[in-house]
Amino acid sequence: MSTAALQSRRPEGKIGPGPSFPRVLHSEFIKFRTLLSTLILVASTVLVMVGFAALNAWGVGQFSEASKSDPQAAAAFAAQGADLTSGIPTSGIAFAQLIMGSLAVLLMSSEFTTGMARSTFTAVPKRTPAFVAKLLVVTVCAFVVSMVSSFLAYLAASPILENYGFDIDLGTEHSRRLLLVSGIYVAAVAAIGMSLGTLLRNSAGGIMSLVGLFFVVPIAFQLIPGDFFEEARKYLPDNLFERIVAAAPAEGALEVWQASTWLGIWVAVPLVAAMVALKQRDV
Amino acid sequence: MIEATGLTKVYGDKTAVDGVSFTVQAGHVTGFLGPNGAGKSTTMRMIMGLDRPTSGSVTVNGVPFAQHSAPLREIGSLLDAKAVHTGRTAYNHLLAMAATHSISRKRVQEVIDMTGLGEVSKKKVKGFSLGMGQRLGIAAALLGDPQTIILDEPVNGLDPEGVVWVRNLVKYLASEGRTVFLSSHLMSEMALTADHLIVIGRGRIIADAPIGEIITGKGQSRARVRTDQPQQLMRLLAADGVSVEVQDHELLEVTGLPPREIARTALDNRIMVYELTPLQASLEEAYMELTKDEVEYHSLITTGVAAPAQTGGNR
Repeated sequence: MSTAALQSRRPEGKIGPGPSFPRVLHSEFIKFRTLLSTLILVASTVLVMVGFAALNAWGVGQFSEASKSDPQAAAAFAAQGADLTSGIPTSGIAFAQLIMGSLAVLLMSSEFTTGMARSTFTAVPKRTPAFVAKLLVVTVCAFVVSMVSSFLAYLAASPILENYGFDIDLGTEHSRRLLLVSGIYVAAVAAIGMSLGTLLRNSAGGIMSLVGLFFVVPIAFQLIPGDFFEEARKYLPDNLFERIVAAAPAEGALEVWQASTWLGIWVAVPLVAAMVALKQRDV
Repeated sequence: MIEATGLTKVYGDKTAVDGVSFTVQAGHVTGFLGPNGAGKSTTMRMIMGLDRPTSGSVTVNGVPFAQHSAPLREIGSLLDAKAVHTGRTAYNHLLAMAATHSISRKRVQEVIDMTGLGEVSKKKVKGFSLGMGQRLGIAAALLGDPQTIILDEPVNGLDPEGVVWVRNLVKYLASEGRTVFLSSHLMSEMALTADHLIVIGRGRIIADAPIGEIITGKGQSRARVRTDQPQQLMRLLAADGVSVEVQDHELLEVTGLPPREIARTALDNRIMVYELTPLQASLEEAYMELTKDEVEYHSLITTGVAAPAQTGGNR
């Protein structure tokens, strides 16, 4: 605790490096990896994805065994067999998006609830670079975690399926698209989550809004009768995702490019709102 | 150097800071003194670009804080001991802040040693005492070896050894020619630490002067007088602006009259005075005098109601 340890004064007019974007990105990555809660949520995502794929593989196998005694069911099963198995590695994706989305909410809302934001935004007073850096860290992490856990899920499910004479072909166009779009979708949900965390500055509020948007609203829209809700349901993010990865689109479905554009809007609008709010509001 | 011009912050219908203008010079420890809720923290947050002024402006070394190319190397701040994610270790917190300005790990370790955090630096901030939190905040403020240092209530929660350490540290920093601006509601601490005082009350600057001037300037002269004819002397001294208080048998305290006048009156009337001691106002008294109309939360002890909960304060 001696004051003598202070550095000597720098020469007049010379000042060291400031918060360039790569440095801010590095800082956000350090912040990301040094929280236990982050690591727990990432591990949970992997666990849930692998667990669901294994369960699903076992279920499909059991069902195929049971249907062997019934020739009609067996024929129907054989017809859609490939489609059934191709979805297995990403069968836990709904939970992955919820967990990674919540993680994204938390990473931003905790800045405000703990007061860390005051440190963050005195180091980066322009604020937007810190937001973009955090966004990049969160979305890339969400994408990578989703891809890696899908692959691990494939590794876990394959031996189970082989027992029943099935295999998963990751090489088909549909499989590849499913994997890639799932990863992008989880990243998109994380981006929405981070915007909610920035706008609401409250962990519980942000996570509940996310759950509302992705789990409650789609179900509510399905239950409420009427053409309006039937039509509006198509534009909910979850259904847009389903449409993009669907092997055979339903009657009257949106085109893939339309669905992708709408999903882009779902991500862009909250992001822009969050960035404007962050720049304008007091910390 | 910190320069505020007409700085104002309005929250809803409450004006927290009301057209404040002041200059904090380099090479001095400037104290920012005021009761709770007077606007100290809000002013400091505006200096650091965290709160947007409703009107007016504030610059650090001539430039608004957000426009510095390397803010942490320009200004270090302790605004709130809890400006830390408590799930992170002290070392990782400092490392993340350092990374934004390419500040070396060596420097991170240096500020940890300097603030006496060595033993707890690898522990989560969650378990820190208030004093440890303050030390971490000071470590963060010193990270960029800044020319200007802003500390909001730095001795809050520190043990006596820590208080002495902060006192010596800020004096040392100022002696190196740095600008040091620290707030406190503790007058005794300010009397020992600061060279210059800016006193704020209800969002307005009440005084801005060297500390010695604040103590002597505003307080009226007071003297303790012992005499064997207190009643007569009291009558003779009575005048506008003079108050005489009987403190004991043959002991008076006279306010508003210089000792020389008291002696002259006594001599002219052949009254024996066997003690005449000029009394110096303490900073405490000067401050009370300055802020008596500005305190926002008076305790209501006389009405039998408990003192109201403090709103405002450190947001």
